[in-house]
Amino acid sequence: MSCRTLRTPFLCNPVIKKPTLFFSLSLRTKLALVALSLLALPWVGYRYVKEMERFLLEGQQQALLSTANAVATALHERPQLMRLSETRRPLTPEERAAALALSPGESVEMTPTEIARESAAIEEKAVAEVQAILRGLERSTSRIWVVNRELKLVALAGSLKRPTIDKTQEKTKDGEDKSEALPTRGWNALSNFILPRPVEDFDDAIQADVLANGSEVTKAMLGAPATRLRNSPDSRAVIASAAYPIWSHDTVVGAVVVEETTNSILSVRSHALERLLLVTLTVFALAAVLLLGFASRLSTRIRRLRDEAESAVDADGRLNNQLMRLVTASNSGDEIGDLSRSFSAVLQKLSQHHGYLESLAGRLSHELRTPIAVVRSSLENLRMNGVADNQLVYVERAEEGLLRLTKIFARMSEATRLEQSLQTEARENFDVAKVLQACVQGYMLAYPALIFEYSAPDQAINLYGSPDLIAQMLDKLVANAADFTRADRPIQIGLTVNEGCAELCVANQGPVLPEAIRDRLFDSMISERIDRSDAEPHLGLGLYIAKQIAVFHVGTISARNLPDSNGVMVVVSLPLTVSS
Amino acid sequence: MGRRIAIVEDEAAIRANYAEAMSRQGYDVVAYASRPEALEAFRTRLPDLAVIDIGLGDEPEGGFELCRALRAMSPRLPIIFLSAHDSDLDIVSGLRMGADDYLTKDVSLPHLMARIAALFRRADVASEPPDETEIIERGPLKLDTKRLTASWKGHIADLTLTEFWMVHTLGKFPGHVKDRDQLMHDAKLVVDEGTITSHIKRIRRKFLVLDETFDQIDTVYGMGYRWRA
Repeated sequence: MSCRTLRTPFLCNPVIKKPTLFFSLSLRTKLALVALSLLALPWVGYRYVKEMERFLLEGQQQALLSTANAVATALHERPQLMRLSETRRPLTPEERAAALALSPGESVEMTPTEIARESAAIEEKAVAEVQAILRGLERSTSRIWVVNRELKLVALAGSLKRPTIDKTQEKTKDGEDKSEALPTRGWNALSNFILPRPVEDFDDAIQADVLANGSEVTKAMLGAPATRLRNSPDSRAVIASAAYPIWSHDTVVGAVVVEETTNSILSVRSHALERLLLVTLTVFALAAVLLLGFASRLSTRIRRLRDEAESAVDADGRLNNQLMRLVTASNSGDEIGDLSRSFSAVLQKLSQHHGYLESLAGRLSHELRTPIAVVRSSLENLRMNGVADNQLVYVERAEEGLLRLTKIFARMSEATRLEQSLQTEARENFDVAKVLQACVQGYMLAYPALIFEYSAPDQAINLYGSPDLIAQMLDKLVANAADFTRADRPIQIGLTVNEGCAELCVANQGPVLPEAIRDRLFDSMISERIDRSDAEPHLGLGLYIAKQIAVFHVGTISARNLPDSNGVMVVVSLPLTVSS
Repeated sequence: MGRRIAIVEDEAAIRANYAEAMSRQGYDVVAYASRPEALEAFRTRLPDLAVIDIGLGDEPEGGFELCRALRAMSPRLPIIFLSAHDSDLDIVSGLRMGADDYLTKDVSLPHLMARIAALFRRADVASEPPDETEIIERGPLKLDTKRLTASWKGHIADLTLTEFWMVHTLGKFPGHVKDRDQLMHDAKLVVDEGTITSHIKRIRRKFLVLDETFDQIDTVYGMGYRWRA
């Protein structure tokens, strides 16, 4: 007996569906998505650089304010310097005296022309003086100018643009760049594209509205030092400026404005951003490669584990003995290793259980055989001792039942024995047509009441396997057909060659296949007999044995209804010997 | 004096039934339930024939060991294995232990008695000169129906009783197909067809040991077997 019937629940297992595509992201994709959170890092870096830039700008403005303060200090209490010719206002005698550095009380009367010339001279002198002061404070990258109360430019010194030496230096740097390797140049192009660098080539004109509307100038005129950031007229640079009032007594007579481009800070910033970009990209790439590698390894291991676990149990739900222990990750101490080990443990338990079930048949028939022997020997002793006629009938009935029981055991052990012998059965080349022909002649003798029709091509059809087993298989198929056939219709046995396979077909007319067991027809212990009156036990092992033999010959077996639904046809397809 | 048969069988009911049936036939029967008990008794006195079960109490292969010990004491003593195991492996290993026959517990008492009688007869005539009338000669095959031995080209084939009876059935009428039922009947067996196939395979193998070209037993598919004429 085979306990494979017990495995039917395996076959009936509902197929666990794979979730729909939307949710079936692979582990790798998921990890890649999670890795996107790394993108927060460059953002944080950018914020940090921004903050630093703000801080630096503040510092620059403070520095500018101190410069303005210093310049203004030099100009305090010298109102004559702030008076410009454009006003064409005659100087007061005190002023003139002050301007000409005369001693107070000394009066000089002059004609208007004289006065005009004189005042022009004084102005020139004042401007020159302011210029001189400013020159003393002039710095390379800042521009200092002085305005009077009328917002007229009194003096100006310095330039916003960097000295030309820097430019030539930059040019030589550019020249070097060209000779650099392509990746570096590509990187430069990329970073220039993403991070515009500050340019020295901007419009540094002082526009009228800067003077008129400049908040820092206005505030300075009101007596409060102030700073401001503004764009250059062509918006190509940002200019930071600081204004400091010039006091004369209690009044503001003008303002010193010191301005500078923020280019130095900007270049620091863009340098920092460039480095940040480079570092983050590198780190990101490394992390991505690492994560992807890790994810790939994980998913490969899991997939291998899955494949192994799947192949450990074959289509019939039997355990594949070679795979009792899964090899995947079995040595690794992580969760996948754990999983594989517990899988192995489960499989081992399952195989023990399977082994138990499979040996159950043998042990059962062994265990039952002993009590049957007790009954048999007792009955035989009874008979030998002489039984009264009126009791004989009971002995006969008991013997009849015993005979049937014995037959059942014979059937059961036939299947078990077949399974054992399939493992050791020797294979040979043989002509299946000859075997079939002989068998059919035998059946004509064995089933005198039935009609057999045999058709086969008139040639040798060579198979590689066991002729004994093929004959045994045909026995089972014919016995099955004989059970169901209508007595007046022939059982047709046909052999054809089709696409490298010998197709053996046994057909009988009679009832069609029962739908309920159609898929399990060739499983062990599957039988559907309507008429149970005959003495022969039906265990549903015949077709099971036939299938085992077909599988032994690397063939397939299938049963279907005849085209006009008046019978059943069993087709066994067996591969031919490859002729060398 | 009746012949002495030893039954070693752990199942009390079977032991008693067999013992009773054998005593009725006039044999002197001693029955033992375990290997040590039987061995102890055999050391004092050997029986004329032993029927041994393979699984004895808590010794699943106690019968095999007992057989080996018994064979060491007497190379001629007829030994029959009587077991519930019917796998080819068990039969082969049982016969390798030197048993003369291997029967499953399906065997009926009359069949068992017939075998016992045959084995005694074989033992009796072993020492007598061969009687020509008892020998069937079919080409290189010689069957001594008295000694129950078969020889091929002058070499004795090491057949069990069952195997001898099958060869006898086939070889007596070369060319005639004997179906499984006939073989089973003549070999005094009640077994399934698969067992007959196993027996035939074993017989072929035993003759092949004597002669590599042996090919006298034909399988007639669907019908049975035939000794080639």
